[in-house]
Amino acid sequence: MRMFMKLKRLLKIKILIIFILTYFSFNNTAISSSFYEEQTINITKNLRCLICQGQTIHESNSDFAESMKKYIKGELENGKTNDEVFSSLTKKYGQWIVYDPGISRNTLLLWSLPLLLFLIGGVIIAKKIFRKI
Amino acid sequence: MIISQLGYYSLIFGLLTSIFIFFNSSVQIKRNDTVISSKTTGLIGFQFFFVFISFISLIYSFIISDFSNETVYSNSHTTKPLFYKITGTWGNHEGSLLLWLLVLTGVLLGFIFKSRNEPSNYRRLTILFHQIIIIGFFVFVLKTSNPFNEIFPVQTEGLGLNPILQDPALGIHPPILYLGYVGTSIIFSAALASMISNYVNKSWAKNIKFWILFSWIFLTGGILLGSIWAYYELGWGGFWFWDPVENVSLMPWLSLTALLHCIVTLEKRELFKKWTIVLCIITFALSMVGTFLVRSGILNSVHTFANDPSRGIYILTFLLVLVLLSFVIFTIYEKKNFIQKSEIFPLSKETAVLINNWFILYFLSVVLIGTIYPIFLDVIMDEQISVGPPFYNKLILPFLIPFVLFMSIGPSMRWIKTNFKIGLKNFLIIFFTLIFSFITIYFIGKKNVFLLLLFVGFFYLLLKSLDQLRQRTKNFAQILSHSGFSLLLISILLNSFSSNETIKNIQVGESFVLKNEKIIFKKIAVEKEKNYESIIGFFEVLDEKNKIINLRPEIRIYNEPEMATSEASIKTTLFKDRFITINMIKDQNFFNVRYQQKPFMIWIWISTLIIMLGGLFAIFKKNKEFNI
Repeated sequence: MRMFMKLKRLLKIKILIIFILTYFSFNNTAISSSFYEEQTINITKNLRCLICQGQTIHESNSDFAESMKKYIKGELENGKTNDEVFSSLTKKYGQWIVYDPGISRNTLLLWSLPLLLFLIGGVIIAKKIFRKI
Repeated sequence: MIISQLGYYSLIFGLLTSIFIFFNSSVQIKRNDTVISSKTTGLIGFQFFFVFISFISLIYSFIISDFSNETVYSNSHTTKPLFYKITGTWGNHEGSLLLWLLVLTGVLLGFIFKSRNEPSNYRRLTILFHQIIIIGFFVFVLKTSNPFNEIFPVQTEGLGLNPILQDPALGIHPPILYLGYVGTSIIFSAALASMISNYVNKSWAKNIKFWILFSWIFLTGGILLGSIWAYYELGWGGFWFWDPVENVSLMPWLSLTALLHCIVTLEKRELFKKWTIVLCIITFALSMVGTFLVRSGILNSVHTFANDPSRGIYILTFLLVLVLLSFVIFTIYEKKNFIQKSEIFPLSKETAVLINNWFILYFLSVVLIGTIYPIFLDVIMDEQISVGPPFYNKLILPFLIPFVLFMSIGPSMRWIKTNFKIGLKNFLIIFFTLIFSFITIYFIGKKNVFLLLLFVGFFYLLLKSLDQLRQRTKNFAQILSHSGFSLLLISILLNSFSSNETIKNIQVGESFVLKNEKIIFKKIAVEKEKNYESIIGFFEVLDEKNKIINLRPEIRIYNEPEMATSEASIKTTLFKDRFITINMIKDQNFFNVRYQQKPFMIWIWISTLIIMLGGLFAIFKKNKEFNI
């Protein structure tokens, strides 16, 4: 019974959190032209300028970057979502163009290795501290 | 011409001296001499002197534009201002390695003077190990990167220095950074020596702490200068992009920071001996990895001066040799000389230090794996991926919250055992933390629970640190650095979540609006300088109170090498930076104008300076004990 009460309380908190989150995320819904501009900036900040040296498309003023910015803004205005834009670009240019490696078969180790090391470190430290005298 | 020759032969003499010192100290170690002769000290002085002469010769060749020297020819030009002729000395691969060597021999000389009261066996072994590194780099410079190569026929004009490197902050960035970067080498040598001579104890910790602080301060300064340069020179208003070359400077910094906390524990409690030694080795290995990654040309960025695989292979082999050597020494002497003694109580400063190291090493592993994983994936699977800011943000930000909470309470822990009292004061601090965090979130206008939690953590650390300031018994250096760190995190977060920017293509006379500010493009002017021509845009910004702020961004067209750069114009105030750059658009009358409002930018620099200042206090506070 006690367990059940606890669960119930947890559920309540969860609902509250979800409520708060949804409330905050749907606060402004008006889509203006500056909205597309902001979205374009958000997307291009995550894209590599393929002809530059270690620059994002957002930062670069190269012809390639400029035309990409125009293209992406156009795609957004045509009603495509951010994810659709990203996936069409990776299809065309490969994973190299996106600065967010995402989780895939190739990047599983990339994401999990640091976390694994963190866990191992935690176990070692816990053993050291809570060792029976 | 003759000066250049002098520099070359001075290097050869330097190498010969090093080999002599190496054999000389091995003999002395075998004989078990009780004192270090003044002859050895003198030789180390000479070794430094030879490299110094060589370095001065290169600078001189740059100043007089001696184009019979290949390095000067490839990286300088007669019309370049004197300051950039000098800084051009280390703005290239060969010259920067000579600087490596200069610092490498310099820190050994410094070590000899600073360690006069240490056991001679330990000192001699340190000299021996350090000579191995020095010889390795002498050979590297002479074999693959000789700065004194001659070219024939002698050219009348040089190729010039990359204009984006012609900048005051970047002029002094390499020497400062290298003092920190290469300073870790002496920590490495001393760690190996202390292990063999069974000297890993309180007095060793006291001795080597100076060099840890030394490297840490300069590395912090070097990273700061690099970030400031990136901010105003690269023209996009960012200061950190998790670029591989930035990461390789951050990695030794992280491990030095972990080491700094460990060495104090060793000094006070004679604990974590093995781990401290491992950290010493890791720190220098990371510096070498950085040198390898940057110099081998594996990374593509502005730091990669040349693409020469033989250089990369040499450094990598040398690094492996050093790591193997330390591994062998470690396994032999680990059982012999390290005896674990006391246990650790959960509520103690020792635990706090362990947790500090746990998190810092995690951050380090994120940066390390994020930097080298793409290289391995490319080699093994032939697939190219980019690991950028999203990866680091996702793996680091959530862990920052518990990290800063531990960082807040750690300093009030006591050695051995702590008894916690939760008083009214603690509630007050938590209360104000929450108030500040909510106010900040309200002003940013981004209602996000995670962001709120980050602010709560950062403000808690700041208030806790400031509270400790009132207690006279606490350590001022530590409080400074910790407050600086919390201030840095708060500024970065505020900066990244409330920056505004817009990009417009406009003509002279037109204007645009960004968040209550009107930006007017007044006129354009052309000016001629010694080694570039500049197109200056005159902009007026009307802020919310209708005050006029003048901005003058430039486009510079350098003559040698022919290249256009965009110079940002920045107006800094305590609360906000206004940042503008212009670029030309091909065959049109329009200019591409990028305008940004970047709040609290200056606080990022100030707080990093505060972090450094904490280190300086720790170094210069001689009478009082340094604590964490």
